[in-house]
Amino acid sequence: MDRSSRFRSRRVVPVVAVAAAAALTLAGCSSSSGGKKAEESGSGASAGKANTPRMTVALVTHQAPGDTFWDIVRKGAEAAAAKDNIKLVYSADPNAGNQANLVQNAIDQKVDGIAITLAKPGAMKDVVSKAKAANIPVVGLNSGVSDWQKLGLMEFFGQDETVAGEALGKRLNEAGAKNTACVIQEQGNIGLTQRCDGVKKTFKGKTQTLFVNGSDMPSVKSTITAKLSQDKSIDYVVALGAPFALTAAQSVSESGSKAKIATFDLNKELTGAIDKGTIQFAVDQQPYLQGYLAVDSLWLYKNNGNYSGGGEQPVLTGPAFVDKTNVDKVAQFAAKGTR
Amino acid sequence: MTQHAEPAVETPPAPGPKQSDGRTSQRPLALRLLARPEVGVFLGAAAVYVFFLIAAPPVREGSAMSTVLYQSSTIGIMALPVALLMIGGEFDLSAGVAVVTSALTASMLAYQLTLNVWAGVIVALIVSLAIGFFNGWMVVRTGLPSFLVTLGTFLILQGVNLAVTKLVTTNVATDDISAMDGFDQAKKIFASTFEVGGVTVKITVVYWLVFAALATWVLLRTKYGNWIFAVGGNKESARAVGVPVTFTKISLFMLVGFGAWFVGMHQLFTFNTVQSGEGVGQELIYIAAAVIGGCLLTGGYGSAIGPVFGAFMFGMVNQGIVFAGWNPDWFKAFLGVMLLGAVLINLWVRQSATRR
Amino acid sequence: MTSKNESGTHGAILEDNAADDATDKDRAAVELRGAGKSYGNVRALHGVNLKVYPSQVTCVLGDNGAGKSTLIKIISGLHQHTEGDFLVDNRPVRFSTPREALDKGIATVYQDLATVALMPVWRNFFLGSEMTKGPWPVRRLDIERMKKTADHELREMGILLDDLEQPIGTLSGGQRQCVAIARAVYFGARVLILDEPTAALGVKQSGVVLKYIAAARDRGLGVIFITHNPHHAYMVGDHFSVLRLGTMELSAARDQITLEELTNHMAGGSELAALKHELAQVRGVDVEGLPEEDALQVGAPQTH
Repeated sequence: MDRSSRFRSRRVVPVVAVAAAAALTLAGCSSSSGGKKAEESGSGASAGKANTPRMTVALVTHQAPGDTFWDIVRKGAEAAAAKDNIKLVYSADPNAGNQANLVQNAIDQKVDGIAITLAKPGAMKDVVSKAKAANIPVVGLNSGVSDWQKLGLMEFFGQDETVAGEALGKRLNEAGAKNTACVIQEQGNIGLTQRCDGVKKTFKGKTQTLFVNGSDMPSVKSTITAKLSQDKSIDYVVALGAPFALTAAQSVSESGSKAKIATFDLNKELTGAIDKGTIQFAVDQQPYLQGYLAVDSLWLYKNNGNYSGGGEQPVLTGPAFVDKTNVDKVAQFAAKGTR
Repeated sequence: MTQHAEPAVETPPAPGPKQSDGRTSQRPLALRLLARPEVGVFLGAAAVYVFFLIAAPPVREGSAMSTVLYQSSTIGIMALPVALLMIGGEFDLSAGVAVVTSALTASMLAYQLTLNVWAGVIVALIVSLAIGFFNGWMVVRTGLPSFLVTLGTFLILQGVNLAVTKLVTTNVATDDISAMDGFDQAKKIFASTFEVGGVTVKITVVYWLVFAALATWVLLRTKYGNWIFAVGGNKESARAVGVPVTFTKISLFMLVGFGAWFVGMHQLFTFNTVQSGEGVGQELIYIAAAVIGGCLLTGGYGSAIGPVFGAFMFGMVNQGIVFAGWNPDWFKAFLGVMLLGAVLINLWVRQSATRR
Repeated sequence: MTSKNESGTHGAILEDNAADDATDKDRAAVELRGAGKSYGNVRALHGVNLKVYPSQVTCVLGDNGAGKSTLIKIISGLHQHTEGDFLVDNRPVRFSTPREALDKGIATVYQDLATVALMPVWRNFFLGSEMTKGPWPVRRLDIERMKKTADHELREMGILLDDLEQPIGTLSGGQRQCVAIARAVYFGARVLILDEPTAALGVKQSGVVLKYIAAARDRGLGVIFITHNPHHAYMVGDHFSVLRLGTMELSAARDQITLEELTNHMAGGSELAALKHELAQVRGVDVEGLPEEDALQVGAPQTH
């Protein structure tokens, strides 16, 4: 159209000028506090590199996009990969069928080792046999502590969400809690459901499940506030992720409730909250360690035929509790996003 | 007033006092009101409210309404431009993740470059408007259904949110900006609270109602509003009589971008950090609020007040189920049943009003 | 008298003496000279010469597919011509939007009426040309004035509506047509284009429409009346152009052609002659009352 080209040429110059002026103005608006400058320049741990031949390892988990916990698992795996001269191929899908397809994909790529999570062991059975038939060693991590052996995995690192939940339930008993709300941010997510079920198993008081829309934080806040208004006798809110615990803290203070907060998993802001006392404690399954060990174990097996646990026992990475007494030790690592 | 020359042949008698052609009779005012879409959804929302007043004792407290209204307002603010866009004949499936994109942009820009947060806020506004422009321009240029175009944008933004956050911060969430310059000011504007009769009310509720009033005025009382109805009702007719169709459509998409920016800023200054995976699925809730509020899916009909009640209904049902203490496993099912029930009431009211 | 025009098209182009007979101005409000439109390699229209004078009704006739729609779309600004000249007030123009045509005083009533079914009558009436009041930040629609004006204009057309708020889609086809015409007459300062306005109307309402075409003409508008009904055309037309297969086949003033000639020309003389032969051979069909063969030819011999 004639009009649009005329439009474009007449308007380009002023637009560019305005954009340039804006960029310069922005550059001048610096902040005197906070921000990246204030952050310490400590980056993730790094070490030398092994001089063994390069190998490829596929790590296939059931992470939902944007999940913090699995992101840390991946960071641990990447650290081990960097050290061991491994090319790490990471893929994930919360849907078990799709996750199995991703494993098949790795087999087709003829990787040197596969690390998987067994959120739904039944769905993995076939692909694990195929991997073994192709002479690819398979190790498990995070989920499936009671199934890895049956499926023929070589080793297992971590412990179930269920076990972590049970540990938290016991800890709640120690704290004298009588009534907790377990906040699940994604209804139908296996890992989250297992955590709450674990809590219910060991906790002597009443456990109520509360589903919130993890995709919309204001909704999370409103729903927790509503629950605290509905049942004023709730004395502990159990969150299943650090950001949700922090939101729960806001709900608690807004609704005037006396409830305390505990959570699974850490992040940078959470350690500060534990220190301040806003959050009582967090269960740390050491996701970094899970990812690290899983990848490193495949290197050990390839280069020295070692396998941890002797094929009999899993290697447990947690759960470790982080509370006010030990949070300072962990805080600096949480700040780096690796705890 | 144009002058009218006497035609050569007979004309109908000059009109005296208002004559009718005698075939339609004036329906009673009450029934005419009931036939309006806003009234139907208002009654549906009122029915839901009354239902929960009875079924869930905690709802009777003032603080409960504050919670419900907060939830409704964060949906309602987005439901307004989404409704206007729907009246204009288009969908925006990227509206949910666009909110997160806006918050991420502001947060990461301010943090990584250690700028005053307001710099981040302004850049986020530009980015959100640009995304809206892109959506609108693509729809108008290619002639493809907006459903498809914005589905593409939705996927792109979802991926970009995750990947860029990971790239820039090495985490899946942004860093805390509460210690930075300008944060407190911005928080006052986007995320403050105030007391009303002992109950804490979030400022988003006020913004929501103000935006709703503004949107209604624009829709019903301005030229632009007339264009929105025309462009959604019959694009070709509108173009033929000189309505600027391209401008209208693109500006509507940009309004959605503005809404995404506003809600994104609220979220950023309420929660200090932004989770990069959020926002997925919210776009359907905005569309639902608009449709419950009486906006035709095919465009050309609707209002801005209806979606206000639609958003309220959604928030009421959502929190009401929790207040009522029902079995949480059935949460989603309850939500669906109540929403369908409310919509059916809305429909029944409108049909009975027009049939009589 | 026949002549071959510049583009060498067939048909009878009779000498146009309309210019000499014009009562008001001798300048055509709208003129097409050798105009044409191609869509890719499809030549929808070519070699069209048309002059529209104020206070005259120019009829454009032709069967479906002859190119009438394309012609109107060019004049109303929806499309642009790809050959020839398009002049308004003797100055060449090229409209890129209908808004530009409207601004030049060319208002069109389309075959599909260009109304938005779900919107109220008064909103449709003023669509694209809404009346406003108030200073800029609070410039709002002057709804009362618009409703009053629309009501008045519609009554002048003979349409009595109880409720101008009713969606225009609830009106009958004829009523909608009259609203569209009233709209165009109200806004059409100089040239009014009507695209097959009587095609879907009953006898009485066709009569009303024709009355108002005449009234518009008497008011000084130049009217382009597109139709495939030669009877309606002859009732109000001052000049007739027949389009066939994308080009002009006949261009004659009222005093140069009779209704019968016009009708026969439009009916496609040679095809009807052949049809008459075939029908004569089928038993039981009475061809007595059909026109004679030589009456089916008008003007230049058909040289296809």
